[in-house]
This record gives sequence, structure tokens and C-alpha cells, in this order.
Amino acid sequence: MTVDLTQFHDAFFEESFEALDSMEAALLKLDIGAPEPELINTIFRVAHSIKGGSATFGFSDIASFTHSLETLLDELRSGGMQVAPVISELLLKSVDVMRDMLRSTQAKQPLDMQRMAGLQFDLECAIAQKNSTPAPAVIAAPAPAITAPTGHTLGTLAAARWEITFRPYRELFARGNDPLRMMRELAELGDLTVHVDTSALPSFAELNAQECYLAWKLDLSGNVPEDAIKQVFEWAEGDCDLELRLKGVAPADTATAMAAATPTASAGAGALAGPTPVVSTSDAAIADAILSGKPPIAEETRHEAPTPAVAAIAPALTAVKEPKSDAPISAVGDSGSIRVSVEKIDELMNTVGELVITQAMLSQLGAALEGPNAEKLRAGLAQLERNTRELQESVMRVRMLPISFVFSRFPRMVRDLAQRLGKQIDLKLTGEQTELDKTVLEKIGDPLVHLVRNSIDHGIELPETRAAAGKPAAGTVHLDACHRGGNIAVEVSDDGNGLDVDRILAKARSRGHVGPNDVLTDEQIHELIFLPGFSTADKATDLSGRGVGMDVVRRNVQELGGKIELRSERGRGSSFIITLPLTLAIVDGQSVAVGNETYIIPLISIVESMRLKETSISRLSGHDEVFSFRGDYLPIIRLHELFGVEPRTRALHEGLVVIAEGDGRRVGLFVDDLLGQQQVVIKSLEVNYGRVEGVSGATILGDGSVALILDVTGIIHAVSMRAAA
Amino acid sequence: MGAPHRTHLPPNVSRGGGAFALAAECTVAAAESLKTGLAKLLNHSSIVTLDISAVQRIDTAGLQVIATFIRERESHGRKVQWRGAAPAVSTATELLGLSAVLKLPTPATQAVETTP
Repeated sequence: MTVDLTQFHDAFFEESFEALDSMEAALLKLDIGAPEPELINTIFRVAHSIKGGSATFGFSDIASFTHSLETLLDELRSGGMQVAPVISELLLKSVDVMRDMLRSTQAKQPLDMQRMAGLQFDLECAIAQKNSTPAPAVIAAPAPAITAPTGHTLGTLAAARWEITFRPYRELFARGNDPLRMMRELAELGDLTVHVDTSALPSFAELNAQECYLAWKLDLSGNVPEDAIKQVFEWAEGDCDLELRLKGVAPADTATAMAAATPTASAGAGALAGPTPVVSTSDAAIADAILSGKPPIAEETRHEAPTPAVAAIAPALTAVKEPKSDAPISAVGDSGSIRVSVEKIDELMNTVGELVITQAMLSQLGAALEGPNAEKLRAGLAQLERNTRELQESVMRVRMLPISFVFSRFPRMVRDLAQRLGKQIDLKLTGEQTELDKTVLEKIGDPLVHLVRNSIDHGIELPETRAAAGKPAAGTVHLDACHRGGNIAVEVSDDGNGLDVDRILAKARSRGHVGPNDVLTDEQIHELIFLPGFSTADKATDLSGRGVGMDVVRRNVQELGGKIELRSERGRGSSFIITLPLTLAIVDGQSVAVGNETYIIPLISIVESMRLKETSISRLSGHDEVFSFRGDYLPIIRLHELFGVEPRTRALHEGLVVIAEGDGRRVGLFVDDLLGQQQVVIKSLEVNYGRVEGVSGATILGDGSVALILDVTGIIHAVSMRAAA
Repeated sequence: MGAPHRTHLPPNVSRGGGAFALAAECTVAAAESLKTGLAKLLNHSSIVTLDISAVQRIDTAGLQVIATFIRERESHGRKVQWRGAAPAVSTATELLGLSAVLKLPTPATQAVETTP
């Protein structure tokens, strides 16, 4: 039977890209000279898995390249080679090349063979150089299966013992797996005793050298968590039969005795122990014993009940175990996740949205009911509301991803930029675990890249300049994310030179954005950098002048329903704060009444609401109206005029104004009344009808009527265009 | 295209008679050529000497070929002996539990056996 492997391609690419990201992150953390073994392992595993996958799917060029990479990494891992800066650079380049190769392969485009061959040659040279110099023979000679019991015993209890049966399938080698590597890793975890089963070996003539005929039974003692063992065999999953059995916890002296018995590794099936007595309920009992500190019960005494999943006991063991070596075994356990397509989640989200609307309708109906059962109905409806809200939140959480997905690209970018510009930069990332909607996450990447690039290019000074100003030579760029109210705030700050207000003002004057005699506050000058095409860069470096200005950043953020603010202090640095909604699916809104219509104004745009006194209103030439607000004059936009609705009142002092902010400008929106604040589910107008200026979407209210959600920035834009016309 | 060839590494060499020098790379990629090299000595009537002093890398596939070779010769009462030492080989043999099959010399006996 032939299996169509193409169906797995997408998963392979997706996983490989993710793996490359983690490889890159690990590489950047790698300490030259004294690398953390676990980091090298992580890097190695990525190369290994990509090699295995690409070989399986017939991407031979990628497999060949990753093979060279893997060889080099293996040398690093075994200590045969040192992590020198040049090697680290080489590995980072390899990540880029692999990413490109995978992308091209995914898009069915030809590979950049020249680049790949060049780098592969460099890799081979690095390996060859090592081979030509006699390296110290430090292949972490794992004790011949037997060492004295480690000191990490649990009181009088020695370590638990794992019995591992590992029967590779014939094609294990072809998938890029090598049992030797697994044994080496296991031997690092604890005391390993190896019994090989050679019974399946054919005659020499019949032997296919590329196939695996050997099988093993392994005893691993030491406080080894199940996850750590599974991780060793992770890449062989599906290419072997693997059985893990916890053989219980022996008192320390027994463990010694066990360990002292030389394994008679005679060839043949005889070397494999007979069927193991079922480790039945004693597993749990042993775990209990460990936890309570009581002596364990000999396993042979109780093997009546069916075996509970060994996994069940593993957490208990992990809880009391301490890592074997000082370097913590970062048990990056598989958190048990599944891949679900975004469409499915969107569908779910949509259905839940409908449910919220239905529930709101029922609540309104219920509130008006009278009768003997009305109270009960209302209690039931209250519960329905609670459950619906929880359901909605849960579904929204499914779409949430930590912002580290975006942040993770910065260490590399900052490193490269700093190198190119001759600047020293420390990148600080905080709040990486802050979660936000996947759609928002995808769209926030580019604006953030622009801001970080700006900070490095324009903000942080050269080391000499900084030293002269009494600052540390290395500048700091800080990315922070946190939840603030119902929003998420992402801040990009630096301790560089801050904005040069004089230069910005001069530039704005020369371009006619600002009149020659206008006096502007610092905040107003800061706003100027958001003007389209505005740049103070004297000459365009390859960083600036990419056609993406701060105006695009602001527009992108606004499209996400967010806003961007800027704080800057001359000589001390600047910081950009982006405030975003957690999700694009619902919005916190203020509902306002205009005539018989209800509109929703997103809370994020609202500064405050007030009733105007007649004295504070002024009329300018034509019929432009303004009112004074904290020393400023703000234009009034009458929503009833904008939308052509018959209002309850046209007298400004009889209605209310909602002071709203967008695009750095404030306006007063004149409405009849405020109705209340509520979360509303956004229905796209573009999808269901068409784009309408000044409206970002619509929602269905509890009574079944439709309310438009206002886009304040759009309204300000439309009104100012009309005024200019 | 493929990986650039590493010309500085010697290939598997049959040294005439019953001697065979293993290449520096005895990994899965070279396993077939290792097998071909050893096949010529499978029925060699006198003792076969395997020289492992050049071996730098070996994996399970490589050791499996060697183990199958030795086992088959021994089943016909024909001997295999070792020359030289290679940490990569001894470590791999131990880790894979193949010590009893390969019977590599311990460092103490090795000195005696490697003396021509």
C-alpha cells in the first residue's frame, strides 16, 4: 500500500517553521564558550527533525543540508567542538537558509542552490577543521551502564527504575534516527543498562545495511521523569514500538545490588527478559510511598488489578524528583495540544456570537414577563447569561496566543541591526506571555518591527556618543506587553536620545505643515511624526526610507481598533505605547441614542461625555461649531447630520457631547442621550454589505435591532475632508 | 547537488590478506560500502583483523554491519580480531549493548593484541 505523503506536507512545514523559530531563539541564548547543554540539545533536535522529515518527504536538498548541520551540531553536543562566535554565526545563517529552503519548497519554487551550497561548504569546512586537529577524546564516556547509585535518593529510597522496550522498525535509520544517539541521551538521564536483542539479524548476505534489525531492552534508574524519556524517543515516534514500564522504587541497597550485577549482555533473544510481571496498582502505591515517605511495597506482592496508565504516576514522581545534574532538565513536556484550523474556531466564535445575541433577546423578553413562573424564568435566564459569557470567553481564549510569537523575532533582528549600525543594544522583553487574539497578533508584527527599527536607527546613539553623555555604552530597547483594562498595551521604549523637537518643527515648517509663527507644545510636535511621508532622517539609510512611515504604523494600529501614543524626553529616550483590543470579535462600547437609532462608540475612543453649556459653544464662519474643553476648542460633529437621522433635539445644550479621540485629534460627537455600556459582538459590514465611511461594523442588540459601531477616526477624517472641500 | 566530498578521509580499505581498515565515517550513509568491503572477507579462511584506528564516527547502522559480520564468521568458527582503538567505536558498542558480540579488547589487552 502506498501512502500519499503530500497530505502531511503542510503539517511538516508548519512544524518546521515553528521549530526553526525555537532553534533561532536557542541560538541567540547560546553562551559562547559555556553553552548550556540543553540549548544545544534543543538546536540539535530541530535540525534532526527537519532532516528526518525532509528525507521522508523526499526533499533531498534540505535533508542533505540539514545532515551537514546536524553533524556539526553533534560535534558541539559531544564536546568535540567549541561554540565559537564564528560557529554561532554559521548556525544562525543556517537557520535563514533552512527557512528559505522550506519556504521555497512549500511554494514549489526552485531553491537558492548557490547560497545553500556555499553555506553547506562552510559547515563541512568547520567540521573538517575540527577533524584535522586532534580533539580530546571526550565523547562523554557514559559509564559502562553501571555507576554507583547517585546521591539523589529520596531519603532511604533509591530512584525509580524504568524498563524500556525499544523495538525500532526497519526503516528507523532511513528516517534519520540513530538508536545510538538515544542511548547516549538516556545514559545522560540516569544509570542505563542495555540489553540488545540481535535475534532479528539476518545472515550477512541478506542484511540491508540501511535497515535496523536490532531491538533493545533498557533499564534506566535514577529520578527520571517519563517526559524526559519520551522526549528522547520523540523523533522515532511512529518508527518503533516503545514500551515504558515503571518498575518501582527499590531501597537504596537493593538499587546498589541491582546496579552492581554485571549485565550479561549475551546475544540473542535470551538476553531479553521474559514478560515483565504486570506493574499493576503498585505503580500508584509506589508513587504514594514516594510522596508519603513510607517504604514502598514490593511490587510482586500485588499484581492483580489491570495496569493503570503509567503516565498517571509520572507527575507524582516528577513532583518529588530532583534533576540528576545541576543543569536542570528542562522538561519542556508536550503540553498536549491539538491543531485546529482557524476557520473552525471562527465558525465557533460566530455561533457563540449568535448565541449571545439570542440570550440578550431572551433576557429582554424575560424582564418584561409577569406571572407565577416569571421569577423562575428570570433565574434561568440569569444562569444562561452567565454560561453564555463564560462560553464566549473560553472560545475567545482559544484564539489567544502569547505575544511571544511576535516578540521572538526581535532578538535576531536587534542583533543584526546593532551589528550593522555599530551600536550596542540590549533588548529587554517582558510580558511575553500576555495573550491576544491571533488576528491582532498577526497584524501587530509589522508596526512593532517598524518601531523597534526606529528606536535602533534613530533613538539609540552610537556607543561613543552615549559615553560622552554619561550613559552606558549599550542602549536598551525594551518591549513590554501587559493587560490594561479590557485592552492590551504594548510598549516599545528606548533609552536613546528622544525625539529632536527642534528638528521636527523645522522640517514641518519647511514643508508647510506648520505655519512659520505657530507655537506648538512638545506633544503637538510629537504628533507631527505621524504625518504621511514625514521623516527627519538627513539621509535615507537602508532602514528608513522603506516607504513605511509612522503614519502607516498608526493606520495599522487604528485598523485593529487600537491607538498609539508617544512619550519622549530629550536625551532620555522615547516610548511608543500601542493600546489594542484583546480581540477583533467583540468591542466594549458605549451605546448612544440619536433619534430612534442606537449607535455604539468604542470605549477606547472616548475621552469623556458632558452636557454643554450654551456659553461654551462658539460658532465660526459658515456653520462650524466648536466648544471649549479644558482650554482647547474642539469641533462639534452632529451625528444626526452625519447619518441623516431625525434627532430628538437640535439644541446643543439639550443633548450630550461625547468627546472622542482619533488620529491624535479630539472632537465632540453630539448625541441625544447615552444609553449604557456593553460588550457587543462585531459583525462585519464589509462582509455583509460594504464598506461605509465612519462605521467600523455593526452589531445586533438585545431587541433584535441593528446598531452601527462608529469608527471615530474615520468620522474625523470624513468631516475634515468635507470641511477642506 | 549533494554534500561536498570529504577527500581527506580515507575510504574503507582492504589491506590484503585478512586485514581490513575501517573508514573514518562508519555511519548509515557509508554502511552499504562497509558491508561490501567486509563481504569479501566473510569467508576468509584465517583470522580477519579489523583496524578501527581511523574511525571517527560510527552509528548503529555501522555497528550493525560489523556485528552481523562477526556473528556470522563466529558461527562458522572463524575468528575476528581488532587492531587499534577508537573511542567512538568502544563508546557506541557499550551504549548499544553490543560488547558481547564485538568483544572489543579492553585497554589492558589491547596493547598486546595490537603489537604486530
